[in-house]
Amino acid sequence: MNRITVKSTDKAEFYQQMVKQHGSPLLILDCDQLVQQFNALSHALTDVKFYYAIKALPHPAAIQTLDALGAGFDIATTGELELLREQGSQARQTIHTHPIKRDTDIRDALRFGCTTFVVDNIWELEKFIDYRHRVGLLVRVSFPNPDTPIDLSRKFGCREDEVSILIQKAQSLGLHIKGLSFHAGSQCPDSGNHVHAIEQCTKIINDVYKNSGKLLSILDIGGGFPVEYMQKTMDIESFCSPIRDALKQLPEHIQIIAEPGRYLSAPAMKAVSSVMGKAKRGDACWYYLDDGIYGSYSGQLFDHATYPLTIFSDIKETEQAVLAGPTCDSIDVIAEQVSMPPLSIGDIVVGHQMGAYTSATSTHFNLFDKAKIVAINQPVKTVDNLLLLNK
Amino acid sequence: MKTYTETLYDSYGQEFSVDKVYFENKTDHQHLVIFENAKFGRVMALDGIIQTTEADEFIYHEMLTHVPLMAHGDVKHVLIIGGGDGGMLREVCKHASVAHITQVEIDDQVVDMCKEYLPNHSAGAYDDPRVQIVIDDGANFVRECTDKFDVIISDSTDPIGPGDVLFTSDFYANCKKCLTDDGVLVTQNGVAYMQLDEVTTTAKRLQPYFSDQTFYSAAVPTYIGGIMTFAWASNNPALRTVTTDTITQRFEAANIKTRYYNPAIHMASFALPQYILDALESNT
Repeated sequence: MNRITVKSTDKAEFYQQMVKQHGSPLLILDCDQLVQQFNALSHALTDVKFYYAIKALPHPAAIQTLDALGAGFDIATTGELELLREQGSQARQTIHTHPIKRDTDIRDALRFGCTTFVVDNIWELEKFIDYRHRVGLLVRVSFPNPDTPIDLSRKFGCREDEVSILIQKAQSLGLHIKGLSFHAGSQCPDSGNHVHAIEQCTKIINDVYKNSGKLLSILDIGGGFPVEYMQKTMDIESFCSPIRDALKQLPEHIQIIAEPGRYLSAPAMKAVSSVMGKAKRGDACWYYLDDGIYGSYSGQLFDHATYPLTIFSDIKETEQAVLAGPTCDSIDVIAEQVSMPPLSIGDIVVGHQMGAYTSATSTHFNLFDKAKIVAINQPVKTVDNLLLLNK
Repeated sequence: MKTYTETLYDSYGQEFSVDKVYFENKTDHQHLVIFENAKFGRVMALDGIIQTTEADEFIYHEMLTHVPLMAHGDVKHVLIIGGGDGGMLREVCKHASVAHITQVEIDDQVVDMCKEYLPNHSAGAYDDPRVQIVIDDGANFVRECTDKFDVIISDSTDPIGPGDVLFTSDFYANCKKCLTDDGVLVTQNGVAYMQLDEVTTTAKRLQPYFSDQTFYSAAVPTYIGGIMTFAWASNNPALRTVTTDTITQRFEAANIKTRYYNPAIHMASFALPQYILDALESNT
């Protein structure tokens, strides 16, 4: 259930101003917060190169902010690389991590200048035969994690014992496997599965070298770094500490990379919506907001997330309430059985931690417009990063 | 200091210092840039791959032009596919015996842009009265064309990119249709050491249509990784057995000034390293 915090009405002024200027519903992207998240993760995992998984929040301001910090980018589609191209990001700093690709996806990525790809099966490997002199591949290994809301080792990733078979096959095809990757799960409650996966990958890397002389040089430890929605989560330092210890067991030459998406973007965006109607139905007061499950709150369905909310009221008395989205579908309900002070039409509701998998998965159902994203505290564009050339 | 890094290969590449950017375009799902480099002059790159530089383009353009024209000896009609930078046109125009040159470029903006930012490539060749510029897809042009040419030069981009149709069996078959009986098709065919597959694939696709098919080569510094191969395809094997003396006579008669090409280079360029011969051998 969503936690609703009530703040006094004078605290609403910033949001009211933003709505006045940009309209409602809104998503406010705070680039400073992105910088803070990036720095916190960099501090917790020094010597790890981060490739922002832009699927979480594919927004130009997020790309520009992270680009300026020296982050690379994890892309999965041609649409995502087009966004990077428009922002002038360096193609050398991208990895294509979709384990299943069409030939045209591979060609588009190569034309963009991305030469790192991920495979997890023989059929995928064979798709690279024509491009074998140009690419370096990572093999994605599956490490199921039933403890996470989204187990990312179910749909993708080969078994540990399949890695050496894939590497042999690659060698016979003249393809270069340069490392391994895994995804320990999304929004992991602890880093146990990361540690397990790193230990197993260390073993695989050593075994592969011992048995075939093939040198692997990269380990991609994926994402899964948690952010706080409703439940208390581990702070990033405590979460990463066991990962750091596990990484020490890797051969010294291995370069470690990661693909954080949610951790970087989730805290950086807030959703601002307005009450567009209300009705008394039974014991509860229904409030119809101008954003909902088919819009920015889509993550409550697709991402299994529940977002903390804030309302603004100076009334002490509370009543039973339902916060619903604007569409005609009855599934479009954000929060039920909540107890809160009454709201008026036009009042504002703010959703927190709404940067990851929110607008990215929103729809145009009912032909409602998607919430507009307004970026604040954006890094100043210099002449240098207007050019697409490497700096 | 600004740099431009080529992204052709995952584990190997070249980097240029960028003294000045003259032109940059990132629309139409591609990234085109022309910049100044101290060693190579003006450099044009498309989608992370070096296309041409002022300093070393002469090797490429001379070899794709003078080798087929001198081997043939009586070229009147030339078709250039691609080559929007005008370098190929400049070399073909040096031959006074050529009566008519058709150049097919997919995008007229490329021609205008190159005239402006790479003027030394075309060096005024676009104003030659023998030249006809056609704006069309090269593959489409040869499919529909009913004219015959003595030499067809395919000056394409990398096969992963807009030039991919210029490496297909269909394209080669249509080129054959557009060639005179003694005609020859030459194509840009990649750097063999880095992309040996391009040599074997092209050989496989050309051989059904041409009784004499081979490759010749030259090293172009900014096409990194060793020698670049040029595909050669003709139904007149005699073009390749013309003697050095004859080539020398023709070259002297043509009175053309070159910086890479000469009759000895002409003859020697058909000698292929053993790793290419072995790959072609196991290809059949």
